Amino acid sequence: MKITRRDFLKKTATGVVLAGVATGLPVNVFANEKTVKIGMNIPMTGDYAPWGLPGLYGCEIIADDINAAGGVKIGNTNYKIEMVSFDHAYDTEKTIQGYKKLVLEDDVKMVMMLGGSTVSSILPWAQRKKMLTTTLLPSDITPKSEYVIATCESHPLYNVTGVEWLAENFPEAKTAVIVTNNDVEWGLQSASTYKAAFEVAGIKVVDVNLHGFDVTDFAPIVSSVLAKKPDIFCMATSFYTTPLMEQLYHQGYKGKIISCTLDYYNEIIAKTSKEFVNGTIFQFPDFDDPALLQEGIHFPDPNGFDAKFRKNHPNDWSAVAWEYPAILLNWIEGAKAAGSVEPTEVLKALKSNKKPNFVFGGGRWWGSELWGLDNAIVGRWPVVVIEDGKARIKEFRSLTDWLDKNNDILKKNMKALGLRTV
Amino acid sequence: MELILQSIVNGLIQGGFFALFAVGLVLIFGVMGVVNFAHGELVMVGAYTVWVLHAQNGVPFIPVVMIAIIVVTAIGLLMERFLFRPTCNDPLAGLICSIGILFILQVLATVVGGDGPSKQVPPPYHGTLVLFDFLHVPYQRVFSFFISAAGLGTLWYFLTRTKFGWALRAVAQDREASALQGININRISMIAIGVGAALAGLAGALMAPLANINPHMGHNVIITAFIVTIVGGVGSLSGAVMAAVIYAMFHTFITVYFGGVIATICGLLLMVVVLIIKPTGIMGVKVSE
Repeated sequence: MKITRRDFLKKTATGVVLAGVATGLPVNVFANEKTVKIGMNIPMTGDYAPWGLPGLYGCEIIADDINAAGGVKIGNTNYKIEMVSFDHAYDTEKTIQGYKKLVLEDDVKMVMMLGGSTVSSILPWAQRKKMLTTTLLPSDITPKSEYVIATCESHPLYNVTGVEWLAENFPEAKTAVIVTNNDVEWGLQSASTYKAAFEVAGIKVVDVNLHGFDVTDFAPIVSSVLAKKPDIFCMATSFYTTPLMEQLYHQGYKGKIISCTLDYYNEIIAKTSKEFVNGTIFQFPDFDDPALLQEGIHFPDPNGFDAKFRKNHPNDWSAVAWEYPAILLNWIEGAKAAGSVEPTEVLKALKSNKKPNFVFGGGRWWGSELWGLDNAIVGRWPVVVIEDGKARIKEFRSLTDWLDKNNDILKKNMKALGLRTV
Repeated sequence: MELILQSIVNGLIQGGFFALFAVGLVLIFGVMGVVNFAHGELVMVGAYTVWVLHAQNGVPFIPVVMIAIIVVTAIGLLMERFLFRPTCNDPLAGLICSIGILFILQVLATVVGGDGPSKQVPPPYHGTLVLFDFLHVPYQRVFSFFISAAGLGTLWYFLTRTKFGWALRAVAQDREASALQGININRISMIAIGVGAALAGLAGALMAPLANINPHMGHNVIITAFIVTIVGGVGSLSGAVMAAVIYAMFHTFITVYFGGVIATICGLLLMVVVLIIKPTGIMGVKVSE
């Protein structure tokens, strides 16, 4: 067969192009591999950023690790995970805008959110689009919020474990004051839970001091509550733990201190002293804690995660750094069980598991007793104490046991502060 | 009794801060007729300067306070030269310009400090002064109080004992008559905003180790400054100082005995009551047409 110069060039060129296309194509075309997008509609700027941005950093670490290991097999498909974020700056208008973008344009399969008014603002959308949405505040759950789940943080219910531990270990502490911001989403929810926990523990609450977000000087507030000579000073999900601790230090407080969070406690130590902060009880561990290596913890290599996070983002670790990643891990578990990434299928699979893998173990679906729907996972929760300037888990305690026994007392205290319960 | 004395001390220290930033606001309004909405952000810039240089880079506190004053004064002078002077015939334009500056400074603060939590500055003066076994005053607050008092004393000396101070007060009373007397209005305006901004910078620098530093911290500052200015009498410097102490005491005692939320409401009510009973404020003077 005679091959002309033109034929040779044509065939050679075709071969080169085909070879180029074949080698240039991503491997996943041949391996039935896809990418699943997970949305984060969170505050990344503004006052609430510490409870948003570190969570994104944490999720990126988890997603990178999973992707580096080849992705996650869901059904017959291998998926890479891509985090898609939107900064709503804790503004409801921006939240709706972000939610629409993530769902309609980015085609995410789950939207992770902080909670509060931002979740309330997207509830109708979540229902209409049947979009799996997560919150850190189970108080966002209503009998009709079918697609909103809280699989990690059960704010502020876990605070009861800290009070229980305090009462057992310091039986001489008999009176408490509670100080917090007077918002419905954080401060009042937390104050009512602490009040219930103190009541159950036989500790008398001698003052509940609620303040606004416009306080520039905490000296008068601290002077006022310390005049009641409390054995326990309780900060109920306060946005102002640093200035409050600073005032307690300067005004010579010697009693026990208990708080929901103690984010950036190194800064508090720098402003006061290690000796003063030592012994403070709160609820959010660092993940380099050896206690997290014990059996029953559902978080892969927590110590390694902590090290990686602090290397990449040295000053950004906060309570949410591991919480959004824990939710992402829950989702992966649900998607694997469902064999699908579709939100309704994943939700169904998650809810059908009566003993879900809660981050600290011992989890079960709960919530109808308080909010009318079992859409929150509650389980064991750590009691954390500052020891020698470092957060250390003292014990894991069962939140479910406490709730089973004392739900009525909790409801009574919630109603007393005007909070919604069923 | 112990609580009352502790509250008086807390109120006095708080009053010192209020006076520093309210006097600056009054000075700028009195001389230039501009309601400087960005005054709170000038305080914020002072605080950020301390955070960047002292907390992040270890520069000693006292030099950093001086640098903060210089930085904020420079911003004030730029505002005067390029915004307020060209718009001096339109008070609304000045106000809108100041709101624009407010946002610009907030964004710049985010760029400098990044997102995330409020910034904290470890106090350069650790420890607490304890008097009579029950009065607790942190050394940082003692230091800030005396520096505030010294700053206000220096301002009083400047306004009552120097030629520039007399000229400044003259312009605040009557711009046209002052100009007719040969006073350079532009130069005096520049001095007024320079001094006002310097006081804001000083207030921010002193507050830095005691406050949560974030781009929006100026919001609460400006609300307090407006209340103090209105209660004291718009344009009255001595009124602003007096109102700052009265308001701080009032707010502190209401907080102690009735809570922070009631204190905020009562603070605003105090302003409303003053406006109804004496619209010119405690030390303000009624100007006839």
